[in-house]
Amino acid sequence: MRARGVSVRLAGIAKSYGTVSALQPTDLLVDAGEFLTLLGPSGSGKTTLLNSVAGYVEPNQGRIFFGETEVTAMPARARNVGMVFQNYALFPHLDVAANVGYGLKARGVGKSEIVRRVAAALALVQLDGYGDRRIQHLSGGQQQRVALARALVIEPDVLLMDEPLGALDRQLRKTVQLELRRLHEAHGRTTVYVTHDQEEALILSDRIAVMHNARIVQLGTAAELYTAPVDAFVAGFIGESNLLPARVLSVAAGNAIVEVPDFARTLQVAAAPEAAAGRPARLLLRPEHIVLDATEGISGAIDEIVYLGEIISLRITLASGAQVWARRLAHSALARGASVQVSWAAQHLRVVPER
Amino acid sequence: MTSAPLSVRIAVNCLAAAVLGFLILPILAVVPASFNATSFITLPPNAVSLRWYRGFLVDPEWMMTLLNSVKVASLTTAMALVLGTSAALGLQQLSDRASFVLKGAFLAPMVVPVIVTAIALYRSMIDVSMTGSLWTIAIGHALLSLPLVIINVGVSLRSVDPNWHLAAAGLGAGKWMIFRTITLPNILPGVIGGAVFAAMTSFDEVVIAVFLAGYETKTLPVKMWEAIRIEFTPVAAVAATFMILLAMALFLLVRMTGPRDVGHPS
Repeated sequence: MRARGVSVRLAGIAKSYGTVSALQPTDLLVDAGEFLTLLGPSGSGKTTLLNSVAGYVEPNQGRIFFGETEVTAMPARARNVGMVFQNYALFPHLDVAANVGYGLKARGVGKSEIVRRVAAALALVQLDGYGDRRIQHLSGGQQQRVALARALVIEPDVLLMDEPLGALDRQLRKTVQLELRRLHEAHGRTTVYVTHDQEEALILSDRIAVMHNARIVQLGTAAELYTAPVDAFVAGFIGESNLLPARVLSVAAGNAIVEVPDFARTLQVAAAPEAAAGRPARLLLRPEHIVLDATEGISGAIDEIVYLGEIISLRITLASGAQVWARRLAHSALARGASVQVSWAAQHLRVVPER
Repeated sequence: MTSAPLSVRIAVNCLAAAVLGFLILPILAVVPASFNATSFITLPPNAVSLRWYRGFLVDPEWMMTLLNSVKVASLTTAMALVLGTSAALGLQQLSDRASFVLKGAFLAPMVVPVIVTAIALYRSMIDVSMTGSLWTIAIGHALLSLPLVIINVGVSLRSVDPNWHLAAAGLGAGKWMIFRTITLPNILPGVIGGAVFAAMTSFDEVVIAVFLAGYETKTLPVKMWEAIRIEFTPVAAVAATFMILLAMALFLLVRMTGPRDVGHPS
């Protein structure tokens, strides 16, 4: 895979509207050819960050580089960025070909070359022969692909996408996710993708930047975020999780001694870097790491069973009254009301600071 | 309405027909009057004749005033269109409060009695020695037409997604290209509607024209007014018939270019 496009570097980018901070000073390096996702709930600053890269938002401070070139003061139209909007923002008075060819026309590309490149771009998104269709006669999925073709045909240095699948139904979303993955693997264009859907982020991304309260709280691969979240927010946002109140007694060499009231015991567990004695913290225990058939453990009772297809999700109420979720293969012979001994593999426990 | 008893429905329909007749009949009455053979406006006409059409078309003064009206309406439309469209685009960029205040100022000519506007214009035009020019009348008419253009264009601007501008800019288009290729095609129905309103406002305006017109710059409605007051011949009815035809033609144009079916991605 040859990387097309350039690296994107943000140095201390910040944006506020009046007294409201939309983006705290943020550093970020997106490698050339990388697919990086900004993941977070609405209002977490991910769209502000994306629009700063696109040139639609002017940051109050900080600098932006595409490769070695500083683009901070460059208007959007000079940046050579391809943008896919959440509502696609297709031009309703133009047909598909004119929409896709718009960026080429703006660049003064010759007519015959526009025709050739538009046809190639439509073929890329599997819309061959749709050039003379009107936008409002296309389905949502087709419109999404036109928007993608329009962004790709200009050979952008950076491809930006703002919740591009938000308007599609679940089934179609799955298909398009794999399609985006295929396109990225085939063309290796630097891509920054915004979503609030963690599953989508996990499927698509080389790396994920989790955003919360106008800043990036953690940047890493899907596996890093899942196994080593820096705080309770990331732990709760990525994957399913049980987060039990915990008191950190001491931290040494990446491990912490924590007291877990719901387990009525003191444990030694892996600690997130910012976990510290006295700071409010949570014990992270993933549902798939809970062992139920142990001879010794915390007493509890199954009070809810949810079938999820090949697996079942079990809600267990512990003796302390706290509830935890566990997962089992669906054929497990467990019934509601059954008493269980809750245990775990110690290496999977992790204490994370509260945010 | 389907649940209302038949008698009520008949009554409502009759009332509607009566109101409609009340609104339209006086306008249409002018058409048969223009075919009158006698020297006075009478209804119904005693005998049908094209006499007054000839009278209208060969009279140099009627023709001059018709030409003047066409010139003034064209100037008015051009001015109101450029200024009104710019104003509507500008208002959209402003904060809500600034836009509210400025819009009030722009729409004032619609609320201020025309006679007041006419007197004010008359006074200031004397100061700048511009009375008796077609331009002067056109400026006055543009003032009256401006709110209509601003409202029409403003309404169609609401259907323009701000993201279209961002998308176009991101694709490399400059401000002028964005206006020409994205904004204008999407607000065109509003622009055409505004143009027709401006043209019609100018074409049938009397008050400002009476104040500002000299003999050479007399417009058609002013001449009609004089004709009715002084001569009372059916020529005025002929002129009125022409105006009705013009109005119908212009609004047909609006219908044909009116809001197309521009669906939005759901």
